[in-house]
Amino acid sequence: MKQIFLVLKREYMTRVKKKSFLLATILTPLVMPAIIFAIVYFATQEKESRSDKVLVLDESGYFNDAFDVTSFEFEYITGDLESAKKDMLEQGAFGLLYLPNVDLGDGSVIDFSGFELYSKTNPSVQAMERLEGDIRNKLEDIKLDKSGLDPTVINNLRVRVDLDSFNISESGEAQKSNAKLSFAIGYGTGFLIYMFIFIYGAQIMQSVLDEKTSRIVEVIVSSVRPFQLMMGKVLGVGAVGFTQLLIWFVLIGGLGTVGLSILSGDSAVMEAASQQVPQEAMELTSQQEMAADIQAMIATVPVVKILLCFLFFFMGAYLLYGALYAAIGSAVDSIQDAQQFMFPIIIPIIASIMAMFFVLDDPNGGLAVTLSLIPFTSPIIMMARIPFGVPDWQLALSMVLLIGGFIGTLWMAGRVYRIGILMYGVKVNWKTIGKWFTMKV
Amino acid sequence: MNILEANNVTKNYAAHKALDDVSIAIPKQSIFGLLGPNGAGKTTLIRIINQIIMSDAGEITIKGEKLNPKHIKDIGYLPEERGLYKKMKVGEQLMYLAQLKGLPSGEARKRIKNWLDKLGLTEWSGKKVEDLSKGMAQKIQFIATVLHEPDILILDEPFSGFDPVNANLIKDEIFELRDKGATVIFSTHRMESVEQLCDDIALINKSEKILDGTKKDIKNSFKSGKYVVNYKGSLNGLSNNFDVLDTASVDDDLSESTVQAKEGQSPNDILKELISLIEVHSFVEVVPSINDIFIDIVEGGKS
Repeated sequence: MKQIFLVLKREYMTRVKKKSFLLATILTPLVMPAIIFAIVYFATQEKESRSDKVLVLDESGYFNDAFDVTSFEFEYITGDLESAKKDMLEQGAFGLLYLPNVDLGDGSVIDFSGFELYSKTNPSVQAMERLEGDIRNKLEDIKLDKSGLDPTVINNLRVRVDLDSFNISESGEAQKSNAKLSFAIGYGTGFLIYMFIFIYGAQIMQSVLDEKTSRIVEVIVSSVRPFQLMMGKVLGVGAVGFTQLLIWFVLIGGLGTVGLSILSGDSAVMEAASQQVPQEAMELTSQQEMAADIQAMIATVPVVKILLCFLFFFMGAYLLYGALYAAIGSAVDSIQDAQQFMFPIIIPIIASIMAMFFVLDDPNGGLAVTLSLIPFTSPIIMMARIPFGVPDWQLALSMVLLIGGFIGTLWMAGRVYRIGILMYGVKVNWKTIGKWFTMKV
Repeated sequence: MNILEANNVTKNYAAHKALDDVSIAIPKQSIFGLLGPNGAGKTTLIRIINQIIMSDAGEITIKGEKLNPKHIKDIGYLPEERGLYKKMKVGEQLMYLAQLKGLPSGEARKRIKNWLDKLGLTEWSGKKVEDLSKGMAQKIQFIATVLHEPDILILDEPFSGFDPVNANLIKDEIFELRDKGATVIFSTHRMESVEQLCDDIALINKSEKILDGTKKDIKNSFKSGKYVVNYKGSLNGLSNNFDVLDTASVDDDLSESTVQAKEGQSPNDILKELISLIEVHSFVEVVPSINDIFIDIVEGGKS
């Protein structure tokens, strides 16, 4: 135990003391939101300043005010299609929308076709949908108008519905739930695990490889059992990841709180005021409303449960994959050689992240339940499911299987590791690794 | 008294036998040479003693006790394939390696300081290993091996890559450690250092021990009754107890010949006969070097 701790301490201290660790740890929570903000900012900015021109050849004359002018600049032209196409190319316009005459008939026709968009480059899906929507809306309006219905009646027919969802526990207690927030939390935590496996798995592998290539390893294993060395290394690198995560949580939590209180004004003052003068609370500005909404939403989530589960699955995933990365590092002489062995490890991780989107869509479906039980995919998939509510027996089974899973991979990795670290310049393939696995020392 | 004994140690790998029924006994406070060509099985035996791998059969005892994890701190091991953490500072590195051998940090700090002073590396303590010259790094490796003051030092090709100055420095340290009570197992295929250092040797070839004993006994047993004589005059007329193998003229009137004596002839018998024939300037018995013996046996084993 003491030996494992000594190895762990070295791995931890040498990493945490590095400047690159400090930078990544402190800058990531600051830079990431800034990057996201910048992308959103430029995207909206670009949309606003967009001046792509679309020529509209409208033979029916129905559509002269149909289009949303924020998406494109529309210019209505007359003439035949062929000359319009030439015009479009000459003017360097983005596209040509050809709207042939439509026969509305007696009002029972619902399929309209023959509308065409010509462009030099492929239009985006969004642009196509927007144009389609504009045409459809216009045709609907015309048909409604023709049917003689009163527009105010029609407007009153369009209602807005707000469906509140609640999770109900065995004891009958109802807890307000929020699908969007669940999605965000499920996605976020799943993605964090995914990211950490890759980043810290690679670090374990590099660390094993460094000891092997610097030839220190034989000195070390004359004092420490290879399995202790491997465990110390895996735990030490893991502790670094854990520290980083903790700092991120504190920083993001801190920044988030500061951000919310800026949005809502000084919340303590506001609360006091709203108690004294209830009607004032009704006059919240939209920003304050938003902040209050966010606070209320967060209150609907079982924060403690999610955090505890996240810690468990984070560590489980890390140990399970970390062991495999350590085994690969011990088997090869260079990072290049490692590539061929990485593939089977990466597949379940990538599969998890891809399946996560389907799981978030149907968190209690067969695929979701199955993948959240298999140890290789369960950390990411279970984290995606937990915010939506998971039956206790599934959570318990998944945890037990994951514990079994990482004990299994640690054991297997240990068997390869003890031989691999002392093998230099051996051409390694899966068969050799299998041989090492069964070899007695 | 033997500090370490290996009895009938055998180790098999899938494709070959690495050690076949090898037994050696290493006397306390000696410098023991474990010799053999590359791939003979020396490193396998050393790894078994270090409990890095386990033997398939046979047993090893240290101070009369069966090999167990407690012995790890009794051994200091300098492997042939050796290195250090490049990005780690010298002092921290030595501390880490000492602690792994069970040395408390306070004691380790004191010893690290003493050793760095002794080998003139004090000002490098805070430097990273990658900033050190190769010679300095090797001295650090040596310090790491001996810091916990082990009873048994196992040095696998300790001088490979050392310049002569550093090699001598380390040699002196090895002698000093031996005088203080340590036993040194010294594995090499370079015979010149064996000649200087070792009291006892064992020769391993093709997984088997083919020879062991004290250096003196082994050399004596390989004497072939040859003598080199420097003389004035002519050797014509020597009795048939002797053969003259070759003769060369050294100076104008001085010659040198190698003489092979028949079995049972003492040096005095030869001298007597020589004096009656020639003017003897020097007379030396040819004692085989360990290198000669080594080559003789290894090549002989091939045929």
